[in-house]
Amino acid sequence: MNEVLRSFAGAALQAAFLLAVAPLLRGGIKKMKARMQTRQGPPLLQGYYDLAKLLRKETVRSETASWVYAMGPRTYFAAAVAATTLAPVLMASAPLEGAGGILGLVGILALGRFALASAALDTGSPFGGMGSSREMTIAALAEPALMLGLFTSALAAGSLDLGTVVRGELAAGVLFRPSDILALSGLFIVLIAETGRIPVDNPATHLELTMIHEAMVLEYSGPDLALVEWASALKELLYITVLIDLFVPLGIATTIAAGPLALAVAAWAAKASVFAIAITIVESTNAKLRLFRVPELVAVSLGLGFIALAIRFL
Amino acid sequence: MFSLNPALGLSAAAALHGVVSVAALLARRRTEWVRRLGFGGAAVASAITGLASVAALRSGGVSRGVLFVHHASGFSLDYAIDPLAAWFLLVLSLLALPIAVFSLGYARHAPLNTRSVFLAVTFNVLLLSVELVFIAADVIGFLFGWELMTLATAALVATEYENPESRRAAYLYLVMSHVGTGSLIAAFFVLASASGSGSLATLLAGDVLTGPRRDLVFLLLFMGFGVKAGVIPLHVWLPEAHPAAPTGISALMSGVLIKTGIYGIVRFCAFGLGTPPVAWGVLVLMVGGVSAVLGVLYALMQHDLKRLLAYHSIENIGIILLGVGAGMIAIAGGQPGLAAVGIAAGLYHVMNHAVFKGLLFLGTGSVTVATGTRQIEELGGLLRRMPWTGACFLVGAVAITGLPPLNGFASEWLAFQALLHGFQSSSEPLLQLLFPVAAAMLALTGALAAACFVKAFGMTFLALPRSASAAAAREAPASMVWPQAMLAALCVLLGVCPGVVLGALHTVMVSLPHLQPPAEMIRGPFGMAATAGPSAVVTPGVLAIALLVGLGAAALAVMVMRLRSAIRRAPTWGCGGLLGAHTEYTATAFSKPLMMIFRAVYRPTREVEALAKVSPYFPYEVRYHVEIEPTFERYVYEPLTDRVLRMAERLKVLQAGSLHAYLGYVIVLVLSLVLMVWWTR
Repeated sequence: MNEVLRSFAGAALQAAFLLAVAPLLRGGIKKMKARMQTRQGPPLLQGYYDLAKLLRKETVRSETASWVYAMGPRTYFAAAVAATTLAPVLMASAPLEGAGGILGLVGILALGRFALASAALDTGSPFGGMGSSREMTIAALAEPALMLGLFTSALAAGSLDLGTVVRGELAAGVLFRPSDILALSGLFIVLIAETGRIPVDNPATHLELTMIHEAMVLEYSGPDLALVEWASALKELLYITVLIDLFVPLGIATTIAAGPLALAVAAWAAKASVFAIAITIVESTNAKLRLFRVPELVAVSLGLGFIALAIRFL
Repeated sequence: MFSLNPALGLSAAAALHGVVSVAALLARRRTEWVRRLGFGGAAVASAITGLASVAALRSGGVSRGVLFVHHASGFSLDYAIDPLAAWFLLVLSLLALPIAVFSLGYARHAPLNTRSVFLAVTFNVLLLSVELVFIAADVIGFLFGWELMTLATAALVATEYENPESRRAAYLYLVMSHVGTGSLIAAFFVLASASGSGSLATLLAGDVLTGPRRDLVFLLLFMGFGVKAGVIPLHVWLPEAHPAAPTGISALMSGVLIKTGIYGIVRFCAFGLGTPPVAWGVLVLMVGGVSAVLGVLYALMQHDLKRLLAYHSIENIGIILLGVGAGMIAIAGGQPGLAAVGIAAGLYHVMNHAVFKGLLFLGTGSVTVATGTRQIEELGGLLRRMPWTGACFLVGAVAITGLPPLNGFASEWLAFQALLHGFQSSSEPLLQLLFPVAAAMLALTGALAAACFVKAFGMTFLALPRSASAAAAREAPASMVWPQAMLAALCVLLGVCPGVVLGALHTVMVSLPHLQPPAEMIRGPFGMAATAGPSAVVTPGVLAIALLVGLGAAALAVMVMRLRSAIRRAPTWGCGGLLGAHTEYTATAFSKPLMMIFRAVYRPTREVEALAKVSPYFPYEVRYHVEIEPTFERYVYEPLTDRVLRMAERLKVLQAGSLHAYLGYVIVLVLSLVLMVWWTR
């Protein structure tokens, strides 16, 4: 019983930690992007200000909408929060180890997406439907690439449990295999696609022809929108964390002690920043792709995953 | 605890089916009584069947007995209720019970109300025949049950016989089923002549055939059962027959009847012909992968709810076969533990699919009764008008998409595990690569299914009604809602208690040859694992708790900061125009990006016609027509039927219409048989 309580407490702590940090990631990327365009950019903490502002606002919902519309953002948020408990962040095991591993993580994020995409259809506005359709399309394309990449990285550990993968990598001591470069590149493309970044989607646009995620949540405002924004940021941070776990877990704490934990925080923050910089560079140097060019990009990711696997087997 | 003798229970259920059928025929003038007798009796009989199969699974033994003896010739038909049969009987009863209750209310509506006698009697006969298929212990009994099942289903598909489409569907079903049955009979002939017995126990001992003859028999059996299961490319009857039948029957067809094909593939192909070679497993795996992906791709383009669900049946059969195929390859590679994971994934998904697909079909039935249409493009806004049906449909949609913590997730999780570890069953690199590719196909299938069910649920139940009949819809009566609620509850239960399900499956797998299910697969009632050791455990209940806590956190975040707690309702902004059904996104538009991306599969033909009076820039009406190419029908079946018809045309000369000629044929046949016997002696 003690064990169970402790793992739930760990899960709650980790989720709270990631929730607290997530807006910073988006703020950081925005700031870096602005600097690359020689702009001042919004303050680093703008994400927090926005959330606070939105959460204080009045809830306005469509007359035509049902409870599904109200539940959409909440389920999306809950799914992102629940998913964080399935990934090791600072410790070399997920807080809820044995709850479902990476398939559980992917599945629960998909549940959140399902809820939000359904909710988007509920207002009767054409934008919701458009966004919902595009979001589900891109998710469907990204899913096989994601699974191929995950399989490649999970092969060595023989398990789809992230904690086991991390511990296996730490024990093996090998930092990088050739196939990892390909698998990582493939999964990075998936990350871009799943988190709605340029060149797949543009989080800053509200132009009807190009919106994907933003079209889906266009009708939301106030606290509902805050939950969606917060969960999206959390999801992005979580994907980055999963990539860190799969490919560069070095520095993660194996015991609960102040020293290793401090090191783990520093190492995790450093690695996450590297990914944030990579995202910034990709966003700044690419133009958004036309919707029907996205499959080609995802096909590249799929191909990379496949070649990575072939290298491992042949 | 109360325990039922399986044989006794099944006999009672069979007797009940028979008695209520006769009683329904006798009381045919009073249709309300017929419905109560027929469907009520079927419900009770199904409950008994369920209890009997649970008892059989608990005991783990085989109950054998004799169904029918002809003393003069010494001919007898036997039955055997082994754990595999009990598992499928359990699946049947779990679905047949709610369907029977649902039909009580559903059959009151036109046009079924005047055909209640036919429906009730045939429904009972159908259930009886499916039970016979599962418990038959010899070839004759099996084929009798198989054929009775086919004929009863065909009759039910043609319930609305005035409709030419129903007649065509029933005909197509009959033709395809008999091609399948023909190939089964051929396989049984080879097996029976080699073993000298008609008993399935002898036939399927695994040592009857060797070499190419064994491969041939495998192919014949796989084809025969594949037709029934609806695997691609033998699926053409399925999307026609499922929508044509009354809803309860559609649910039964999709949930259980196509599973008789899976039953056959597992019992005969995977475990009845000795250790399967790798090639068989690869074939099953590839057919499964193709069926899964193509099934869901075609489902995406359907805007008739029942047709959409029918294509999802093909998809789910594919998922089941992915598990079974991985299991077969593992058997061939000498990995009995890994094989158990694959087979368990397949059998688990058999039950899950029966539950959530049954639920979705029943929901469609409610919608059809309430609105008179199954076309998604004419529905919408039903969640406010039919709250219970809508909520149950949502549960089914989440379950079929394979999302945690519902049951679809549990079995797909197992299938993924079987595929992840699959590479251990061979040292051949190409074969090892096959598994991750199959996993990617499974992932694609799941994600496309999510898109499809966002469309199906959202367009049907959310936003504004797209037609007057949808706007006037009312919730279905309690007798139709309760069965759905029961199935929805099962979706949750089967999802969060995988340990309990695997406990039952453990009994099944221990009874099958070549399998050694690791005891560590069961981690208490709420958990399961694919392998021994600490890694790779799934406890969907914990995921559910985490989700609930997350919902609590969301509520908290909103509550802490909120200044005003009232929610303001406002009209949706209609982009400057009037908001209405015509401004809503449509199902066609929703699935259009995927149609464009997968146009190599669909090969769509589109026609856009703008009708304008003054200037082409101001059309008053735009007509859009899109059609996807029915690839298999056009390029496989049309040439085939053409050739068969041409051949029949040529053979017409034999049918001269003269008695003398026919007598001549008989004499020639007898003489040549005599000569053949004499020659071979």
